[in-house]
Amino acid sequence: MSERRERSLPLGEAAAGDTPVELVSEFAAVSLVVDRDGNGPRLRIEDLKTGQVGFLDPLELETLAWLPEGALHRFLDPSFHRWREERERG
Amino acid sequence: MTPTTVPADSAAWDALIEPDRVHGSLYTDPAIFDAEMERIWYRTWVYVGHESEVPQPNDYVVKSIGPQPIIMSRDKQGEIHLLLNRCTHRANLVCDAAKGNSSAFRCPYHGWTFSNTGKLLGYPFNSGYGGTEEKRNLGLGRVARVASYQGFVFGSFAEEGPTLEEHLGGATDAFDRLVELSPTGKLDISAGWLQHEAKANWKMLVENETDGYHPQFVHASIFSVAKSGIGDLYGEKSTAVSRDLGGGHTENDLRPEFRRIDEPMGWFGTTADRLPEYVEHLQAARGPERAREIMIDGAPHVMVYPNLFIAEIQLFVIQPLAVDRTVQHVTAIQYEGEPQLNRRMLQQTIGSVGPAGLLLADDTEMYERNQRGVHARTPEWLVLKRGTHRERRDGDGFTIGDATDEVPQRAIWRHYRELMEAGDGDGAVAPPAVPTANGSVR
Repeated sequence: MSERRERSLPLGEAAAGDTPVELVSEFAAVSLVVDRDGNGPRLRIEDLKTGQVGFLDPLELETLAWLPEGALHRFLDPSFHRWREERERG
Repeated sequence: MTPTTVPADSAAWDALIEPDRVHGSLYTDPAIFDAEMERIWYRTWVYVGHESEVPQPNDYVVKSIGPQPIIMSRDKQGEIHLLLNRCTHRANLVCDAAKGNSSAFRCPYHGWTFSNTGKLLGYPFNSGYGGTEEKRNLGLGRVARVASYQGFVFGSFAEEGPTLEEHLGGATDAFDRLVELSPTGKLDISAGWLQHEAKANWKMLVENETDGYHPQFVHASIFSVAKSGIGDLYGEKSTAVSRDLGGGHTENDLRPEFRRIDEPMGWFGTTADRLPEYVEHLQAARGPERAREIMIDGAPHVMVYPNLFIAEIQLFVIQPLAVDRTVQHVTAIQYEGEPQLNRRMLQQTIGSVGPAGLLLADDTEMYERNQRGVHARTPEWLVLKRGTHRERRDGDGFTIGDATDEVPQRAIWRHYRELMEAGDGDGAVAPPAVPTANGSVR
């Protein structure tokens, strides 16, 4: 994409090509859109159940594409971060 | 019907199953049903799903083996797993959607999370368990053995026993014939599943699938409305045969009639000129001569014991839930890359077994009337004598009878008795005997 916008549009106003995509399974529901607020594009991920937002830049996404089988398992453990008593986090 | 208990020895089984009649209590006794689950459904190979239902890595579908909830998943490496759909924490169903794509499953009750190979990945607030060591022993339950034949995936809860091919025995030919009808040799079981519940014992459905005696009576109205020639295939003058394939597998072989009529695609109620794309593809794949033979012979009509009915254009999967409650899962068979043929298969399936279909509704009415009738105190027996005097061997050594004979029903009960008499042992059930061409059994 050659165009670079000055600000991030609300999801409902996203320009063609940056239309949010919702991916829903019985386990999770997320909205994906390319965010262009920064100096380079990145993927904006919104957890539609809680409103939590995270971002992944192209290098992080490329890394995900190369992950070996099972590499995400420790992050899928609910106790890894999200459901963990505060006193346990270090 | 007099309540009974599960027979403890061969003599006691004699009182319930004879070569040409069976006792009605076998359809109504909850104790018998429980024993059937252990000795048949949780021991032998049972059909679960088709590889094409999980085409991509991390695809999964929710299936069953009788009352057991099963997840059929394909992991990232492509291997297919059959997992028990039961959280190892407090027994909630882990997956609820009929299908999806996910590398991990998260139980909705307390968030326990499992990989799609069944490994426990973790749970919320793990300090409450004092460490993570026990995770190793808390993976999802697994069906002990998984194997497939021509893309059809079967599972067995028994750690040991006959291989799947030994179990299928004479029925392997039905799968070979089915995939040969596909120019690519592959099926695409993606049309979706209808579920029909019948207030009847599962064995009534199994017996009916290859019962060639009922179509001219039960299905007379749809044959008349549709101006179908199917009814004639199941008459006294029909050259079609009923066949015992061994291992409880049975067949209504309609090929003799189709060969006599000699009309390519006649088995499908149409003509080859109405399916030019399919005919061209099949001829290119098999050669004109073999393609013609395949289009004459058509698809098999075979009941693969205990739960898969290959019904020419449809698959039926039988799921017993209680002694008097059974679900039939039905889908249209689709051939990979053949939209012209597939559209007609889907239309015929909807017309015959869809929500307003005329064929399965007829059968289900019979199942439920049968279940009510079998409770009568007298007579106590169901008669399966038809065609006993004209049983014979075919060229492959299989026992056959005329199209309307009860050869399949007698075969089903013989095999049933073998499985039930084997008791609740260690799961080692001998593979079915396969006859040889001279009539001996190997």
